[in-house]
Amino acid sequence: MNSRIVYRTEDGGVAVIVPAPECPLSLEEIAQKDVPTDRPYKIVNVSEIPSDRTFRGAWTIDEAELTDGVGA
Amino acid sequence: MSTIKVDTVRPVTADASLTLQGDSGGSGVTGITIDSSGNATLAGTGNNIGTVTAGTLGSSVNIKASINASGSAAIYACRAWVNFNGTGTVAIRESGNVSSITDNGAGDYTVNFATAMPDANYSSPTCSDATNFSQIASVATRSKSTTSIQINTAVVVGVPGSSAKTLFDIEEVNVAIFR
Repeated sequence: MNSRIVYRTEDGGVAVIVPAPECPLSLEEIAQKDVPTDRPYKIVNVSEIPSDRTFRGAWTIDEAELTDGVGA
Repeated sequence: MSTIKVDTVRPVTADASLTLQGDSGGSGVTGITIDSSGNATLAGTGNNIGTVTAGTLGSSVNIKASINASGSAAIYACRAWVNFNGTGTVAIRESGNVSSITDNGAGDYTVNFATAMPDANYSSPTCSDATNFSQIASVATRSKSTTSIQINTAVVVGVPGSSAKTLFDIEEVNVAIFR
């Protein structure tokens, strides 16, 4: 699966959800279920996620970009 | 060869059982019996699964033999599992009953279950890969709920400057859930 679901954590960091390829749920269903309640999220291509994790704790994302839905 | 197509087959008399038979030398040999309560018994000497009642296999079913489990100890199945790469582009290699993992940060992940556990009292053995013993890692459970488990990974040996108290991405992380 080449998609990832991103949302802002409580401390302003970035959480990245990696959907399980074998999961029968749709990407949207996974987002609704696994993103914390009322937290906005965005579905992106995996290529948009940095593979260099040296400064993983410094990742940020503009909340205005999280427009694909909110956690249920 | 002929085919009979019907919606329902019942015994000719009330409160009776119904049997389906094979034939051996002109004699009927019962294969399946359905009693007046609807319980089905599959006979035969090759694959006798006993009586099936309300979806539960009968006591004559030898599941342990089928999975090479010797002894009398009970069997408790794995309810969820995942093997994932926690480095670079974090990705799940294979999993079962896992909807996703959440990359919370370096060495900090949450495994989300596709179907929730009955409670949070499950056992969650974890391990990491140490194929070349270049990294010996610690994988620890941080928080548990019926819907997910958060784990932390840290390198104990193999990375200069790191310590067990420093969360660190691990190339192979394994989590299994038993309940």
